[in-house]
Amino acid sequence: MQIGRTPQVVSFLRPATRNQRSGHKSSRQILRRIALATLLFLTAAVAASAQSNTPIISGGIQYENATVGGATSFAPAISPVVTIPIGDRWLIESRATFEELIFREDGTTGPYHAVTFSSIDYLQLDYLINSHVTLVVGDFLTPFNIYNERIAPIWIHNFNDAPLIAGIGTRTTSSSEGAQLRGVAVDHKNWQLNYSAYFSTLVNAHQFGSGRTAGGRVGVFVPRHRLEVGFSYQRFLQDLHLNSIGTYVVWQPQSTPLEVRAEYAHSRGGQGYWLEGAYRLSQFRGPDSWIGRLQPIARVQQFYIGTPSPGDANPTVDTQRVDFGLNYYLPHNIRANASYGRQFSSLGNFNVWELQLSYRFLFPLLPGGSK
Amino acid sequence: MKKFLFACALVSALLAAGFTGAQQNSKTPQPSAKSQAATSTSSTESDEGEKRFELQCGRCHVPPESLSPREARAVVRQMRVRANLTAEDERLILKYLAP
Repeated sequence: MQIGRTPQVVSFLRPATRNQRSGHKSSRQILRRIALATLLFLTAAVAASAQSNTPIISGGIQYENATVGGATSFAPAISPVVTIPIGDRWLIESRATFEELIFREDGTTGPYHAVTFSSIDYLQLDYLINSHVTLVVGDFLTPFNIYNERIAPIWIHNFNDAPLIAGIGTRTTSSSEGAQLRGVAVDHKNWQLNYSAYFSTLVNAHQFGSGRTAGGRVGVFVPRHRLEVGFSYQRFLQDLHLNSIGTYVVWQPQSTPLEVRAEYAHSRGGQGYWLEGAYRLSQFRGPDSWIGRLQPIARVQQFYIGTPSPGDANPTVDTQRVDFGLNYYLPHNIRANASYGRQFSSLGNFNVWELQLSYRFLFPLLPGGSK
Repeated sequence: MKKFLFACALVSALLAAGFTGAQQNSKTPQPSAKSQAATSTSSTESDEGEKRFELQCGRCHVPPESLSPREARAVVRQMRVRANLTAEDERLILKYLAP
């Protein structure tokens, strides 16, 4: 398959994704064995789960039409999540993403080409030790700030493009292979302290790659003000020993349907922030009225280059970007989204127009009644 | 110009679909007073569950339109891990989603 775009453009269209992982032919056989073992394990798990819980498949389907610097592309995608609860304390969960990128060979002219991306975003086993501690083992999303874990799914994010700083604190693949402890350390009436701490080992297998890292995240949530503030840290423990730090804020004021989210991240390769706001017009005739389904959104972000290292997934120069858009929440878990953005850097300024339609689905994996 | 007209047509269609959905929702029959009284015992916990859902889950996403009880159990278990919920959060949110 020919790719008719410069690597920078393709990289920009899908920044900091696991699709850029490098596979090794020598690991293909191992991968097949892992896949077969995983399939057998999941089949056995579904059978065991069916006795007390219902496994489900949920996720999102999205169709995106983007025009970046005059070059138009189309990108249908599906991202299923399989959830298998077992007994009262166990859970297996996995998310994969399959995406087709259709674009013209020379950007604005020439024949259309298509490239398929597929990735297993995570495949993890969870054990609920008690009300405050959960053990997670396997391939899990690296808990650095909030975008990677909470906002990235296609049925959640307001803007399809990942933030400019998404590559900080999530190297090498935005997922980690190892173990993690997470939960709520303190559950006070007026505040909660949540945490996650993990260790990841070096894995080079295709679809299951990760770097040797250790890190964690601590957040304080104040329900009265609907405010969460957190801090993240990651130590990259192979080759280059790098530190990444980050902080985030999520605020949803009580009196108005406003959402404010922001992240700041810093590493040797660079630093930057993004700030996003969304205002649902539900105060006008309720959330189910035609106007109450509208949600204007905006995001501003800046990235400042530091001392780049091999493997960085950051912009290569200082970059600024601003985006404006509109969500429209249709019935039946369908959402339409349109946005306009402009990116500024010494490599050139350009416009980004995006139109998306997404559908959030959820089905039981096994037949049965509604109870 | 064609793109602009197409965009206008698409926005109009989406607004119309949303308006239709809003009308359908407004026609949904309300539960009777008798059934409301019968469920008053668990309504407090369900209300608390709704509150916790808005606080904990609403930080990232809007609620799904409908969930069967058996689907809700799996969803809330997953969210307990993903959103760092306590066991009490899990129980109350389940009461709200699958009363």
